[in-house]
Amino acid sequence: MTITSDAGSDLTPQVEMVTVVVDGVAIEIPKGTLVIRAAELLGIEIPRFCDHPLLEPVAACRMCLVDIEGVPKPQPACAQVVSEGMQVRTQLTSPVARDAQEGVMEFLLLNHPLDCPVCDKGGECPLQNQAMTAGRPESRFDEVKRTFPKPINVSAQILLDRERCVSCARCTRFAEQIAGDPMLELLERGANQQVGTAVDQPFDSYFSGNTVQICPVGALTSAAYRFRSRPFDLVSVPTTCEHCASGCSLRTDHRRGTVTRRLAWDEPAVNEEWNCDKGRFAFTYQEQGRVTTPLIREDGQLRVASWPEALDFAARGLSAASSHGVLVGGRSTVEDSYAYARFARVALKTDNIDFRVRDSSDEEAQFLRSAVAGTAVRTTYETLEQAPVVLLIAFEPEDESPIVFLRLRKAARGGTRVYAVGPVATRGLAKLSGTLIPAKPGAEPAVLAELAEQVRAELQAPGAVIMVGERIAGIQGGATAVLQLAQATGAALTWVPRRAGERGALDAGALAGLLPGGRPLTEDSARAAVAAAWGVDSLPATVGLAGAELLAAARDGAIGALITGGVELGDLADQSLGRAGLEAAGFVVALENHHSAITELADVVFPVAVVTEKAGTFMNWEGRPRPFAQTFKDALVMSDAVVLGMLAKAMNIAVGASDVAGIRQELGALGAWTGPRAERPNVPAGPVAEGAHLVATWRALIDNGVMQEGEPYLAATAHLVAATVSATTAGALGNPESVTVTGPLGSVTVPLEIGAVIDGVVCLPLNSPGCVLYRDLGVRSGQAVTIKGAL
Amino acid sequence: MTISAETRDQLRELAARYPKSRSALLPMLHLVQSVDDEVTSEGINVCAEILGITSAEVTAVATFYTMYKRKPVGKHHIGVCTNTLCGLLGGDAVYSALSERLGIGHNEPSADGQFWLEHIECQAACTHAPVMTVDWEYMDDVTPASAVAVVDRLARGEQVESTRGPVIRDFQATEHTLAFPLDGLVNDGVAVDAKMLVGLRLANERGMSAASIPAGDA
Ligand code: SF4
Ligand code: SF4
Ligand code: FES
Ligand code: FES
Repeated sequence: MTITSDAGSDLTPQVEMVTVVVDGVAIEIPKGTLVIRAAELLGIEIPRFCDHPLLEPVAACRMCLVDIEGVPKPQPACAQVVSEGMQVRTQLTSPVARDAQEGVMEFLLLNHPLDCPVCDKGGECPLQNQAMTAGRPESRFDEVKRTFPKPINVSAQILLDRERCVSCARCTRFAEQIAGDPMLELLERGANQQVGTAVDQPFDSYFSGNTVQICPVGALTSAAYRFRSRPFDLVSVPTTCEHCASGCSLRTDHRRGTVTRRLAWDEPAVNEEWNCDKGRFAFTYQEQGRVTTPLIREDGQLRVASWPEALDFAARGLSAASSHGVLVGGRSTVEDSYAYARFARVALKTDNIDFRVRDSSDEEAQFLRSAVAGTAVRTTYETLEQAPVVLLIAFEPEDESPIVFLRLRKAARGGTRVYAVGPVATRGLAKLSGTLIPAKPGAEPAVLAELAEQVRAELQAPGAVIMVGERIAGIQGGATAVLQLAQATGAALTWVPRRAGERGALDAGALAGLLPGGRPLTEDSARAAVAAAWGVDSLPATVGLAGAELLAAARDGAIGALITGGVELGDLADQSLGRAGLEAAGFVVALENHHSAITELADVVFPVAVVTEKAGTFMNWEGRPRPFAQTFKDALVMSDAVVLGMLAKAMNIAVGASDVAGIRQELGALGAWTGPRAERPNVPAGPVAEGAHLVATWRALIDNGVMQEGEPYLAATAHLVAATVSATTAGALGNPESVTVTGPLGSVTVPLEIGAVIDGVVCLPLNSPGCVLYRDLGVRSGQAVTIKGAL
Repeated sequence: MTISAETRDQLRELAARYPKSRSALLPMLHLVQSVDDEVTSEGINVCAEILGITSAEVTAVATFYTMYKRKPVGKHHIGVCTNTLCGLLGGDAVYSALSERLGIGHNEPSADGQFWLEHIECQAACTHAPVMTVDWEYMDDVTPASAVAVVDRLARGEQVESTRGPVIRDFQATEHTLAFPLDGLVNDGVAVDAKMLVGLRLANERGMSAASIPAGDA
């Protein structure tokens, strides 16, 4: 039921109740409830296949037939709404209903192959289960069954065994209603009816894996999991996805120390029952390329070392340095980020710390300190769904926070107006029925300042939301303009970072100038409270270096020792600066789970746990803690927090709890800051770059990300890597098939696509196969490139 | 063949005729079959692009309705009604004779690309059962011999007329009419003849009329 929130009206919904009787038991429920839901409330289970509470009813499978008094024929309980005095009899009390269901089941099984012993779904299959509970014990069918060549690919990842399908249309309704990707349809008719795609257009939806999960039979399977195991051999653990700030609840299934699959778990407040394909399929990275022992650098070479030796080596290196810095890569849990924040201030006595090892700015840091860190939760998935209007800036939800995208789509289908400020009306925006407010990259602040009166007025409505992505950091004056707009209109401003750890790291104090709970480092009382909690006399009182300044200081030799935790050099727009900083720093301690460019540059490397090997919490974009348990209980790999604790001990410094429970207690005791907040940024808009072609770029959901390694089927469903320009721009280039785009560091050649891009802008994926902008071109969003038709 | 710029314009013209453009998909698919003798993947993609829907959605429609073909029909579409009335009055025999003459079965093209044979459903022409259609024009009251004769004449390239008047053109020409019905041919031939009105005449003579529907018995 939707609660309408018309401005000024009474928010309490007026619900008309009716009384219905199911199998002789009366219940009072809201008018309009489906019979199948009414029965569920009474604990009566009516068999079903096509019914799904998050999809619109279709009554396609006819499994849920019930007997309703006064109605001549059995009716589908999943599509029939209750009315006052309705008398419903299910298979439990009505021979008519029981007969009807048995008949439907017999029909469904006519052409079903009954290959349960080799079917992925066997053991968790609604058809298998309900054939037992609602079907005839013996089949009367002895004809030849309809068969199909099996399986066919509806995408590189999703396979279809057509003869198993019961034509329930869950997958096709999901594709159309939820994902907005109706590339999967029911084709043909009658006995030939089958799920399929267009000949040359696979079901490359970012959400395709959900269809495998909701298919009530084994017709849809994933290439990654097909034939991998039987569900009853798996151990299931509820977990939180580590990939993005949406914060999905997942279920991780494992067997013999290996993750076999991940499913979306039911979390109505967050991901409902969905997730994205990255969260579902990208987990093989957990096993590949791992750092397995401590390593120390000797004569320029890394060699294996024992823990005591490596801890001693690191402790001496850190103690010898007179200045320090800490870089946390944005994927840490709240507990680990807190451990870095505390270690920096207590053990290294420095405030040089940042979790934003990516394109960042001082203005962004001010924005986060003043308006985000430790603030009370205001915008949630639920309020998003109720919002009258949502304005998106520097944020492409489908790529950068897919479950935000799904909830926005649900909202848009319910009437929420969506605006996006930027240079391109993306396919994702179209799926939100959104409107583009055109702005050249870099011109967003000016556009926000001059926003049309009508949009401004809409933003003043109660419940209006402004969502700003982490790319705002790359727009000079962007955060300032957004804050001003939010203040002027009263709209709720919410920051949606990309990575799962960023919001938690911010609230844990892993940013210069900020202590846990959003406490400004410059507030004496805040410092005193945290110092007391940490058992030290004082904390550094001047705001340290962050972002590019910290790296530049390292490059200039001003940082004696650096600690890095889960840092990826490739995240930095200025990669030479990152490399130079790490090379010039006197001593580098890396806590990493994988070998990378960072471990190549480090003096000491400590192996740390991936998410399956530790417990922890991710804080999602809402500010909602998403705690998760350890999947592999006997894993011996330690978390960053535990390693930092041992390191502090080796330095003879007490830092407090290192275990998850202890850290949660410390953080909980500190609580959120209610005192004065840091100054808001006040940065004028920067100039828009000169040049015929300015770059607009962000990371595609499925791209070269290191945590997607080892999953070729997922990679094959990535969106097309192309340069997208307007028809005018393409015409001016002579409409070539491909173009070569050149920046200061080099060029890439990619197909040319025409899209809803404003003239003079070229839209490119930031880190996709064959198109790695920071490395290959050396450009970031808003900078100019040259484009030529490729031969 | 590829969809020409001109065809694209015509497809757009059809799309513009409806308040919800996707309502135009049915005539658009007929137009596709008027330039190719089938619904090609290219045709599907072009319709999808013009209507702003996915190719899968167009494919769903193109595979659901039996008048859309996913392989080349050839020059002439031959339908034989084999529903109850026509079937009993000789339609099944007509179908068999044609199947033997052409060497093809249901929904199959002949090897020379000239004919496509199909069992079709009631054409609402039961008065003249058994009924055959050539490129969806009626051939009333056929026999196995007259039906084969029609095919023979078409095969020789002779001019053939529907028993109701219009000259048989070819499958693609009919498809064009289905996309753009206002092509001036609407009054070619007869729509209603005396045989169709026999029942009405008798009812009038005897003062018969249907009982009115009792109120409230929906
Ligand atoms: S493939 Fe599965 S979900 Fe899709 S219609 Fe068939 S049974 Fe239903
Ligand atoms: S939306 Fe984000 S949190 Fe959810 S499964 Fe995908 S990557 Fe994970
Ligand atoms: S569950 Fe009711 S018809 Fe399918
Ligand atoms: S049964 Fe053949 S036209 Fe009616």
